[in-house]
Amino acid sequence: MELVLAIFIGLLYACGVYLVLRRSIIKVILGVFVLSNATNLIIFLAGGIRRSGKGFIPEGAETIDPALISDPLPQALILTAVVISLGISAYILALKFRYFEVTGTHDLDQLSKTDD
Amino acid sequence: MIILAPVLLPLFYIVLSLVTRSKSLKQALAVVFSFLNLAAAVTLLWLVDHNEMLVSHVGSWPAPYGIVMVADRFSAIMLVVSALVFMATTIYSVQAIDPVRKENGYFLISYGILAGVNGSFIAGDIFNLYVWFEVMLMGSFILVSFGGEKQQLQGAIKYLILNLISSFFFLAGIAILYGKLGTLNMADISVKLTAAGEMMSTLNPALVLFIVGFAIKGALFPFFFWLPASYHTPPPAVSALFAGLLTKVGVYALIRIYSLFLFQSDGFWNPLILWLGILSMVVGVMTATSQYDFRKILSFHIISQVGYMVTGLAFFTAGGLAAAIFFLAYHMVTKTNIFLVAGWVHREKGTLDIRSLGNILRENPKWGAIFFISAFSLAGMPPLSGFAGKYHIIKAGVEAGRVVPAVVALFVGFFTLFSMVKIWLEVFWKPAPITGATQKEKSLLPDNLMVISSMFLAVLIVLMGVFAAPIVEFCNRAAVDLLDTAKYYGFVLGTVNP
Repeated sequence: MELVLAIFIGLLYACGVYLVLRRSIIKVILGVFVLSNATNLIIFLAGGIRRSGKGFIPEGAETIDPALISDPLPQALILTAVVISLGISAYILALKFRYFEVTGTHDLDQLSKTDD
Repeated sequence: MIILAPVLLPLFYIVLSLVTRSKSLKQALAVVFSFLNLAAAVTLLWLVDHNEMLVSHVGSWPAPYGIVMVADRFSAIMLVVSALVFMATTIYSVQAIDPVRKENGYFLISYGILAGVNGSFIAGDIFNLYVWFEVMLMGSFILVSFGGEKQQLQGAIKYLILNLISSFFFLAGIAILYGKLGTLNMADISVKLTAAGEMMSTLNPALVLFIVGFAIKGALFPFFFWLPASYHTPPPAVSALFAGLLTKVGVYALIRIYSLFLFQSDGFWNPLILWLGILSMVVGVMTATSQYDFRKILSFHIISQVGYMVTGLAFFTAGGLAAAIFFLAYHMVTKTNIFLVAGWVHREKGTLDIRSLGNILRENPKWGAIFFISAFSLAGMPPLSGFAGKYHIIKAGVEAGRVVPAVVALFVGFFTLFSMVKIWLEVFWKPAPITGATQKEKSLLPDNLMVISSMFLAVLIVLMGVFAAPIVEFCNRAAVDLLDTAKYYGFVLGTVNP
């Protein structure tokens, strides 16, 4: 399962990098979304993928064998990262909208460069 | 807990400004809160100097499990300097930022950036550091594109994409490190890295991701392209704030990571960091010489100066780290001030192309004097703080037996002087070019607050140069703390909790 997920993350990164290098601004933005999700999946993978119990200590017991429960922390981290990327996605799409309004193009190469 | 004040005060301002209707009240509150923030930072500095280190366990969770906020001397001095810089830019913005931007929450967003910057300085948990980075970036994304002019949007896209990618690098690094070590607390990671010993090499991929992430944020040599493409596009007060605070947080994080994680396989990382530093110094200063835009020259100089700090870090002796910390502090003040001068020139003349400017020294000697102090401090002239900064870096290099980097630093200093003299001659000294079509005779806009804030920073630059010895001495103690990792572990993980 880990191997499948690892290969999948690699594919997502490849797609993301390919998209970020495109000329069209909308593809660049999609590429950023793909990269962000691939990174979230890495966190998920870091916690270990296995079928195990909930991250709670059962009622009445003082401790539980760590091997029996899954690590809840990576999921909390992903939740935080997802919320952050949601905010950024909203902003970046608004920026894209404004960009199209001002310049009338999606093509990043058509624009005069800012660094000359 | 006083340690949380630098984070809570900006958040409190944000809430207040959301419920306040009156524009002038918002503005007044922004200035008042910048003073409060400075007061909190100075109190923290005083407390840290007396108690060695302050630690707060957020939500009372014990150390390796919960989030910790740690303020040591290095964090405290960074907090104070960023509070000074923020105060000056806030007072400056009252007159420099146009009413439309102010109406749309300029101060609110700049406080968002301040919360992120302050949070990064006191984060003791690596994921928390990432979150503060994002808070800071989110604010800076908005400010860099604020207003939505064509040129600004082009700069904003480059800034946005490259900084987001750097965040992904950092986050992926955190994920891999967590998967290997099962902890996010920076002190705990450091302890586990020491225990790993030979196994260190399996953790290097995560650390490489950290370095790339921070190098993009700090605008180091092969990763700096977003900075000169975007820093000259927003309103000058915004670029002054960015120049003073944002890249420095990247350098701060790099110093923190190096002194906790990377030094454990020094033989591998040290040459890498050293060359990143040297190449940034040289490439930054060389590319600056070919520019003719006031702010662009300064942007390229940021890269060069960040190179100095990283070179100081790479020496990794108490002297080298102290020099890097002093350089960081002086650079924040000086660079912000030059950007503030550029902002005034832009407002008066409507352009920042140095070829079409001139004669400002005779028209307005006050700003001429402020620029003179800041620019020649940056170039490293003796009575000013830049001299002390460069002198200590070079001295630390020679003492550490790294003569080549020290000599390179010396020569880069000459090139910096060349660029600063170029701006000085073109903008302030030479007579105004006759072709300059519409030159205003007298300034109609009020600029007294702008002068006060800029003058304040100029005085600070002189004071930091004249009284460099006690400040360097303090930096030295901060550097010794950074090298003494056992002390850091003791405060964060142990029972020592004032």
